[in-house]
Amino acid sequence: MNSRSRYVWAYIMIAPTLLGTVLFWTWPAIYSIYLSFLKSENFGMVNHWVGLANYERLFKDKEFWQDLRNTLYYAVLFVPLTLLFSTFFAVLLNAKIRGLSAYRVIFFLPQVTMPAAAAMVWVVLFARDYGLINHLLGTHVAWISDTRFAMFALVIVGVWGAIGFNMLLILAGLQGIPRALYEAAEIDGAVRFRKFRYITMPLLTPTLFFTTVVLMIGATQIFDSIYLLIGKTNVALPAVRSLVYAYYQNSFVYYDQNYGAAIVDILLVINLILTGLQFAFQKKWVFYD
Amino acid sequence: MLFRKKAWISTTSVAVVAALALAGCGGSKSTNDNTASTSANSQAATTSAGQASDKPKEAVTLTYTIWDQLQQPAMEAIAKEFTAQNPNIKVKVDVIPWGDYWTKMSAAAPAGTLPDVFWMHSGQFVKYASGNFLAPITDKVKAGEIDLNNYEANLGSIYTLGGQNYAIPKDFDTIGLAYNKDLFDKAGIPYPDGTWDYTKLAQAAKQLSQPDKGIYGFAAKMDTQTGYWNDMLANGGFIVSADGSKSGYDDPASIEALKARYQMILDKSSPTHQQMTDTDSTEMFKSGKVAMIFEGDWRTTDIDGSDIIKGKWNWAPLPKGKVKRGNIINGLGNVMSASGKHKAEAWQFLKFLGSKRAAEITAQMGAAIPAFKDTQAAWVKSKPQLNLQVFIDQAADAMPYPAGSKAYPVWFPKEGEIMAQAWGGKISIEEGAKQVAAMMNQAIANNK
Repeated sequence: MNSRSRYVWAYIMIAPTLLGTVLFWTWPAIYSIYLSFLKSENFGMVNHWVGLANYERLFKDKEFWQDLRNTLYYAVLFVPLTLLFSTFFAVLLNAKIRGLSAYRVIFFLPQVTMPAAAAMVWVVLFARDYGLINHLLGTHVAWISDTRFAMFALVIVGVWGAIGFNMLLILAGLQGIPRALYEAAEIDGAVRFRKFRYITMPLLTPTLFFTTVVLMIGATQIFDSIYLLIGKTNVALPAVRSLVYAYYQNSFVYYDQNYGAAIVDILLVINLILTGLQFAFQKKWVFYD
Repeated sequence: MLFRKKAWISTTSVAVVAALALAGCGGSKSTNDNTASTSANSQAATTSAGQASDKPKEAVTLTYTIWDQLQQPAMEAIAKEFTAQNPNIKVKVDVIPWGDYWTKMSAAAPAGTLPDVFWMHSGQFVKYASGNFLAPITDKVKAGEIDLNNYEANLGSIYTLGGQNYAIPKDFDTIGLAYNKDLFDKAGIPYPDGTWDYTKLAQAAKQLSQPDKGIYGFAAKMDTQTGYWNDMLANGGFIVSADGSKSGYDDPASIEALKARYQMILDKSSPTHQQMTDTDSTEMFKSGKVAMIFEGDWRTTDIDGSDIIKGKWNWAPLPKGKVKRGNIINGLGNVMSASGKHKAEAWQFLKFLGSKRAAEITAQMGAAIPAFKDTQAAWVKSKPQLNLQVFIDQAADAMPYPAGSKAYPVWFPKEGEIMAQAWGGKISIEEGAKQVAAMMNQAIANNK
């Protein structure tokens, strides 16, 4: 087979995925950029070109800046905590213990739970007067309706939901580390912590890097737990409202798709910058063998 | 090897970045071709309707979309009876919960995929009618196929725009005062009745409250139609001026009414806003923790379904205010899509939904107060242990739900966000009311 026909075949094989991506992701994204320069009426049947007016309004909107701060604050809390817990559990579950697969299933369960159902359970757990969390801690805190605590409640739910999947990724990374390295280290007299520090950690960095990038993007798109857990009549909403929540409100509740599009386009730029920075800094800490 | 592995990770990461970053951008897209094709469709539908009589009838399935699950059995019973009379037309009743209903409809409208027949709310009507997404029924009304005088006062007129009729009234709803007889008996207070005013309500609420036991006399919830709108009207205030040009939230009488309601929270006669955010106040009533609430008649079946309170509660009219007895009347309408594929059949079903028979089924099953004249008695009797008559009696003085403008869908969701700040104690009630007024006036100006 010559190389040309091999390429043709390769493209045919990836065509379904590529088409799907272009049709359902790339095209809508480009369209949303176009939408942000318009003022639409009548559910988008009538459109006027308004240039940068939506962005001008956005930059003058105090709520937008607050939402941006909230989003970044959430990401700063959520990403490190998720990484920490996922790595911790992955290392534990990489050991040879009885009933290993049962533990793996248990830790993975939040991932396959419906977010809406999970949120309903959390609402009950967090309730001020009858909630289990206050009961256990001996506190009397309105977790989801007090401005000071609502963000932490969201982070707790977020981390709880994210551990399972990320643990799995990290576990795969751990299992990709050759046994021979540990055996060699043992012959050299390395103890447990040193093995973790000098073998596991460096060889895990590519996985951790990938996980961080994905988590960061996921974190800046927090929406469902705000929608389900906090709700629109909650006094704490302004303290946790994210950019995607603002996008949803503007696009689907106030019927201002153009302003909503401007919000997500800014988020897109932020994510490109954040991801670009992470790629730039990966030389400093990511180890490729 | 080093390079290739790195390249693989970079590519995957970038792909994931792109995919995830754009996940929020699924906005609704529309093209003009859509309008063209839908109007072509509707012409085809009209033509086929004309010939329907001399052709063998084709089997058709219509979609009827509603938002209230509690009414689903009644709507299905109506659909079944309709199919019995028109064997070639089947009707599928779809429920989309209120929280998602208008989001889905606003995506379906420009895409030309609105359900054949669906429930319309007065607050959303203008947007859909002015965008030509609803099929007008004016010619059918003129041809005498349907008589809008069959329905209770004014309900037919809610859904008219520019001289065109768009909906057949389905039902109406008003607000009542639900009370827990047990808690009243224990406190030795006579049950609420038509003589009560707001002063009496506040006094009784105070007497009934035992905050240390988690029992409150009244739920002074942050709510509009089943909350402070009634107070504002009763106190001589208003929500939107009669000509729709101005918000009434900054009217002194409105602010006074809002403050009086909030005072009940400060007096510990009501749970706090935070408590009512954690647990819906009607749920508190259902579990016997709250002695009185304002609620709409549509919650009757739901409240009565609670084992804790069943047989121990009843309805009373809302209390009288300084000026009058406030109440909001709202009526749902059944409408049909302008782009439906089977408009002739949809019209047959719509007509049946507006018939006396459909109203009787609605009433007997206790689903809602039917709009059809002289069918309400059956609804009142559907739960003889409850004083449902208060909802019919209050309809006469009630003010129509203040929607009916392009501005309403814009200001209504923002109203809740601002008032939540006031009810949660972040800003004063007066400040909240003034912010709402400014926001509403802006929305009215922007959406003339």
